[in-house]
Amino acid sequence: MLVQAVTVMPSPKSGARLIQQLYVVGVQSLIIILVSALFIGMVLGLQGYTLLAAYGSEQAVGQMVALTLVRELSPVVAGLLFAGRAGSALTAELGLMKATEQLASLEMFGVDPLHRIVAPRFWAGIISLPLLVAIFSLVGVYGGHLVAVEWLGVYSGSYWGNMQQAVDFNGDVLSGMIKALVFAFLITWIALYQGYACVPTSQGISAATTRTVVYASLAILGFDFILTALMFGGA
Amino acid sequence: MALNGIIEIQNLSFSRGSRAIFKDINISIEAGKITVIMGPSGTGKTTLLRLIGGQLQPDQGKVMLFGHDIAKLKRKQLNALRSRMGVLFQSGALFTDLSVFDNVAFPLREHLNLSAEQLHDRVLLKLEGVGLRGARDLMPSHLSGGMARRVALARAVALEPEIILYDEPFAGQDPIAMAVLQRLIKDLNDDMQLTSVLVSHDIAEACAIADQVILLGEGKVLAHDSPAALQSSEDPAVRQFMHGEADGVIPFHYAAGPLADELLYSAGEA
Repeated sequence: MLVQAVTVMPSPKSGARLIQQLYVVGVQSLIIILVSALFIGMVLGLQGYTLLAAYGSEQAVGQMVALTLVRELSPVVAGLLFAGRAGSALTAELGLMKATEQLASLEMFGVDPLHRIVAPRFWAGIISLPLLVAIFSLVGVYGGHLVAVEWLGVYSGSYWGNMQQAVDFNGDVLSGMIKALVFAFLITWIALYQGYACVPTSQGISAATTRTVVYASLAILGFDFILTALMFGGA
Repeated sequence: MALNGIIEIQNLSFSRGSRAIFKDINISIEAGKITVIMGPSGTGKTTLLRLIGGQLQPDQGKVMLFGHDIAKLKRKQLNALRSRMGVLFQSGALFTDLSVFDNVAFPLREHLNLSAEQLHDRVLLKLEGVGLRGARDLMPSHLSGGMARRVALARAVALEPEIILYDEPFAGQDPIAMAVLQRLIKDLNDDMQLTSVLVSHDIAEACAIADQVILLGEGKVLAHDSPAALQSSEDPAVRQFMHGEADGVIPFHYAAGPLADELLYSAGEA
């Protein structure tokens, strides 16, 4: 099913469908991502400041906020939010399409629902989540700046300067983005599979939606540990 | 067996899990006629339609469509055959993200290369045929059940198919909508020289337009005859279904052991 859905011939029409799904899956998830990122960045700034001030090194709060976000919190928290916001919606949508015989009727028109319905949603998920994760990190860093610099009086130059020195593009930013890509694959695939394979009744769709959120969340946390161990654990 | 039917079902068996739905049935459906498949709920009428459409594969036997064994066709060939066949699903199955116009245009856009003007005219003619030209800009969520089914019918005949399958077209419709659908099905069949296959358990409505009736029960074909012949049949199962009698050979109870074995107080103890 995966191979069938992913190997879809690109065409102007499939491009239009992808853009529509990017809007539904990606753009409509923006608000929850922006708000959460701001608050998480602010909490990190606050916690980091209190912790580091005890050692007199509150100047390092910028690097702490950025590294925590880029390596760990952005992919994981954005992934969990994405599973809850977009994953559950995908499962419910596909499940209802199945229950109302829309998938069967596509098939009877000689249109493969895997190509028409599953593929654009799959690619939209793969493209959206890494972008959302990048946005999450950016907004989070500003949230940290807001608390640490604007409110608690850390020198702005140290906030940015330490960050610039400590964060490595390949080692940190790219690793975070690889995590985002893996999570995007897991979440989107779990969501689409659960919807496509669900029992087309009200209980069936409800159970499938729940399974999407539970399985996707567990997969994110499990794979996050594995990926972290691989990326940062060795050296 | 002579292959004279446009749809031929030969020695077909099909089961879901351990439950056998069809046991070695043979059905031949003649071209140009309205054939109604009837039977008590749960006898697999919808399953039969899915077998004819190639959405399910039989465990044994074969389904011949236009003289082709559909199990042996490649996906492309099956899709080509499907474009010669319209299906009206029980729920209508309109695409909820498309307007009425776009729903009817969908199969045309998929299979034919029409200009925008040709497409527009053809869709409007099909909608006019079901009396819903004025509803072309509505979304499916704004349609009543009867209207949704008529739009679905316009969509099913948009490609001018040779066969049209109706899954419970009368279920849950008010008497007026039912009469409208009945007339549409009959007119379409006569005007377009279609072969219509209906699955239904609305005996009166279905018999009024049917040329042939196939009565299914307990995984077998109980009868295949004209409606008049079935109405006057002496066969007890046919009689019970056609006249809607609660008591008869078709059991009211789901298969179970004797009641006395399951009751917790036996006569001796009481």
